[in-house]
Amino acid sequence: MTSVRIQYYALLREQAGMSRETVQSKSTDAAGLYDELRERHGFTLARSQLRVAIDGEFADWSTALVDGAEVVFIPPVAGG
Amino acid sequence: MTVHSFTFSDQPLDLEQLRGSVEDRSCGGYVSFEGWVRDHNDGRQVARLEYEAFEALAVKEGQRIIEEAAYRFGVTQARCVHRIGLLELGQVAVWVGVSTPHRGEAFAACRYIIDEVKHRVPIWKKEYYVDGDSGWVNCERCASAALDSDSHAAHGHHHADHSQDPAVSALARHPQGLVAPDYSRQQILAEVGPLGQSRIRGARVLVIGAGGLGVPVLSYLAGAGVGTLGVMDGDSLDASNLHRQTLYAITDVGRPKALLAADRLRALNPEVDVRPYVEHAALANLAGIAAGYDVIVDCTDNFSAHFVINDVAVTLAKPAVLASVYQYEGQVQVIDTHSACLRCLWPEGARDGAVGNCAEAGVLGPVPGVLGSLQALEVLKVILGIDSPARGAVIIVDLRTLECRRIAARRAADCPAHCVPCAPSPEPETIELDLRLPVAGWTVVDVRESAEVAAAPLPGASLHLPLGRLLDDPAQLPEGGRYLCVCARGLRALTAAKALRQNGRVAASLAGGYRLDP
Ligand SMILES: [Zn+2]
Repeated sequence: MTSVRIQYYALLREQAGMSRETVQSKSTDAAGLYDELRERHGFTLARSQLRVAIDGEFADWSTALVDGAEVVFIPPVAGG
Repeated sequence: MTVHSFTFSDQPLDLEQLRGSVEDRSCGGYVSFEGWVRDHNDGRQVARLEYEAFEALAVKEGQRIIEEAAYRFGVTQARCVHRIGLLELGQVAVWVGVSTPHRGEAFAACRYIIDEVKHRVPIWKKEYYVDGDSGWVNCERCASAALDSDSHAAHGHHHADHSQDPAVSALARHPQGLVAPDYSRQQILAEVGPLGQSRIRGARVLVIGAGGLGVPVLSYLAGAGVGTLGVMDGDSLDASNLHRQTLYAITDVGRPKALLAADRLRALNPEVDVRPYVEHAALANLAGIAAGYDVIVDCTDNFSAHFVINDVAVTLAKPAVLASVYQYEGQVQVIDTHSACLRCLWPEGARDGAVGNCAEAGVLGPVPGVLGSLQALEVLKVILGIDSPARGAVIIVDLRTLECRRIAARRAADCPAHCVPCAPSPEPETIELDLRLPVAGWTVVDVRESAEVAAAPLPGASLHLPLGRLLDDPAQLPEGGRYLCVCARGLRALTAAKALRQNGRVAASLAGGYRLDP
């Protein structure tokens, strides 16, 4: 199990009902982590509609999770 | 031999001779512009003109404009001559000539030079009217020079005259009258100063979207004295806009926002040339409009517009400041040719409707207010050359928690927007520049040996990397930079530039090298 801190924005924050959480994940990469959380919180956005950032930098979905990583899921935002 | 020069002449211009001076066998196009003395101005019959310049400052600024044009448009030969002294009707007051390999750049560069000269070079014109009266006009820089008492004194004419004569300047014509814009509060900042203020005045900024984000952007940029401000918005004001779009009044509902904004901004600062465009941004219209601006600001509220603006900015190699909001959150991103664009992050684009805009998701007025203010600030940083963490990153602001997060973004190798302009117009291997003037767009790499550097240091900022050490590993210089290699005569610099180019870097060498007594 990997312990990661998650930050949600926009629609994801609304659907998760929280801005952040720390989760114990059995996933090995960012893609698996999102799928896991999507299942848990009922996120409507597909992975292809999002970007993931790990430790302050945009990352590939295949990036391996390491203990203590800070993961941010970012949906595109359009309003103005 | 390359001519890049700005000069004054107190004698009538010899156009044939001037044309000859920019002839170049390597060029396929030549464009020239003549500004003439005409017989009327502002409804008054003009008999003759007198031009006066603060030459030390004016030649420097004029030369800078020529170098900018050369750099931007790849001009081979460029020359501008401005008359001073007494001129009769029909005489040529200013002449610009440019030669370039292809015609498109010649037109663009010629236009750029004359527009910038008009805006930025301190030249004053005295009109002698048929009725015997006379008056100084076009003293565009008086306000910005007000703090700079040295150059002010050197104008050699009395500003008090302006307030007495209702016809003499844009400022005096303003209905509120007689109060000149005062930039002193920003000009006190070390990063602004008189030079920064003249950059702001010379800047041309296109703001797309005159809504929740656009209103603060436009207001602050007009207040700051940005010389040319384009306002593009195809929408008319709706009553539901007013809680966040504070430039407008409830009696304005139903009128086009671009026109409303233009009115308010002109009232805020009559020095600003405000250009409204009552249309939505689309690929078909945007490129043509954006080409005439230096910075693009995306204040739109839908994905299709965001991506159109992104793609046009990347294609035209214009810096752009993007922002968008969602309820209590916002994102800001500054893009330029070297940093990640929207499509580097979202190559597939994004569909409207998937995540909601203000109408669907709701928004509190100050949220776009804050994000728009950030955009205005980022635009000023771009103009003033102040580096920003919003470049090469997305800044995410959560205004409920007041947390701000920077997420670094890299340029994607397969970015669909960057791909085409990525195969850039090949940079020339050698370029001519005057290192005593600020060098825009290049990191100067001094490839001389330490002893040479100590004996004759370069006037501006530079990186010192002797040729031998550079050749050990040219890839030690980071990708994405633009390197101008300099040595004493130009040969070592050319070798260095070639090595850098072979390693995929953008590099050129300074023709002729750097000498103390040029
Ligand atoms: Zn890109």
